[in-house]
Amino acid sequence: MPNDTLLIGTASDPVRQLAGLLEADWLEVPSLEAADGEALERFRQGDQAEGVEGSHARVVVALWAESATPAPLIELDDDSWLRRGEFPVIAWSVAMGIASRRVADDGAVVALVEVPAPIDSGGWTPECGVGEAAIVLARSIAQSEGARGVRANAVTTPMRLGGGVLAPAPALPQRYPGTLDREIVGAVRMLLSDDARGVTAGVTHADCGRTLR
Amino acid sequence: MSSPVIVITGASGGVGRGIALCCGRAGWTVWIAARREAEGTAVAQEVDREGGQGRFVVCDASDRASIEASVAEVVARDGRLDGFVHNATSGLSPQPVRLADVSVAALRDHAGVSVRGSFLAAQAAYPHLVESHGSLLLLTSEAGFEGKVRLAPYAAVKAAQRGMVRALAREWGPAGVRVNAIAPLAGSPAMDKALAADPELGPRVFGRNPLGRVGDAVEDIGTTVRFLLSQEARYVTGHTIPVDGGSCAVS
Repeated sequence: MPNDTLLIGTASDPVRQLAGLLEADWLEVPSLEAADGEALERFRQGDQAEGVEGSHARVVVALWAESATPAPLIELDDDSWLRRGEFPVIAWSVAMGIASRRVADDGAVVALVEVPAPIDSGGWTPECGVGEAAIVLARSIAQSEGARGVRANAVTTPMRLGGGVLAPAPALPQRYPGTLDREIVGAVRMLLSDDARGVTAGVTHADCGRTLR
Repeated sequence: MSSPVIVITGASGGVGRGIALCCGRAGWTVWIAARREAEGTAVAQEVDREGGQGRFVVCDASDRASIEASVAEVVARDGRLDGFVHNATSGLSPQPVRLADVSVAALRDHAGVSVRGSFLAAQAAYPHLVESHGSLLLLTSEAGFEGKVRLAPYAAVKAAQRGMVRALAREWGPAGVRVNAIAPLAGSPAMDKALAADPELGPRVFGRNPLGRVGDAVEDIGTTVRFLLSQEARYVTGHTIPVDGGSCAVS
């Protein structure tokens, strides 16, 4: 079985940092900002043509936009909606499809997705939709690839999604929202490792406990 | 208060029709917002026969101009909007496919109807729902909780709707507007197609159902939607409620 990690991700600063922290090969997904369906389809078909099924034991998917600003849904124009809500759902579906092919037998897939805690979700309606889609895509892979020993899980982080439309009333937890290197990547590594060999189709909130506030 | 006025997208058949008939039985005014005029008009007439006021308006739920025109017509004729139910889904929803093989064009179709449709419905309905202290309701699926082996694109967009509901409830709560979703398991033409396309789907879905039957679109699904749209549910918001006979134990 291959003994390496593949990161399928967008070219944003956090994803670059993640690639370094995981010492992963990096398969770059077309920009979410461009919302270019043709580029994404070329990317999908290109990977299919490569004959790389089962190329990596561990696959992490992280499609993070360069930046985002909270805004009420009723104030979003169509272009903002497309870039923040609709196109990322499509891109996540493509990337997770590639992950399901790339992951080797007995391997593991982790989707690392930005999702605000429920209490902070106002202003982040597109991102909440994308986050749930990514989690359920991981569950679909857990089911479809489970017979060959593949596990698939999701890790959520609110790392860049604080400060929503409604001010969070409860006090913020210590270390919230966390950083990639100290609070988040460890959860990814754990789920990729054999220590988590009984864990699949799950979601781990790497949010310092904010989800339950 | 006069009887509620609601809109249901994709209600020319299946679960949407069941919701329409159930609300019609309570004397509500029910707008069938769908692309298929003949079938939609027929359902509107069924609503009349059930005791409600059935109306039809042509609507493509993935198109801004169409959905805005639909809402405008409703408010112009009936003067209010108390509930908007986004039920329409892509025609590709029941087609089995490996996630790795699904094209971007197909994914855009899924997302256009379910996810963009939710966004457009929310923007078009919001000012009227503020006036009526009404509610928005999205139709999602158990697939949107747990994923599906061969319906992963459908599951993804249904999950996205759940996430949108959670966030929108926070945004709209201060204005007195509620946002919820249901995840039904009901007999419908789409389910029939999915079952026919995947012989393993039936045993998977029904083999774990504590009540041992598929839901009825009127008596099981429609009644839950009618409750959620009514003032009886005025303290319920931000939730996705499985209406599935206990199949998907995730709540």
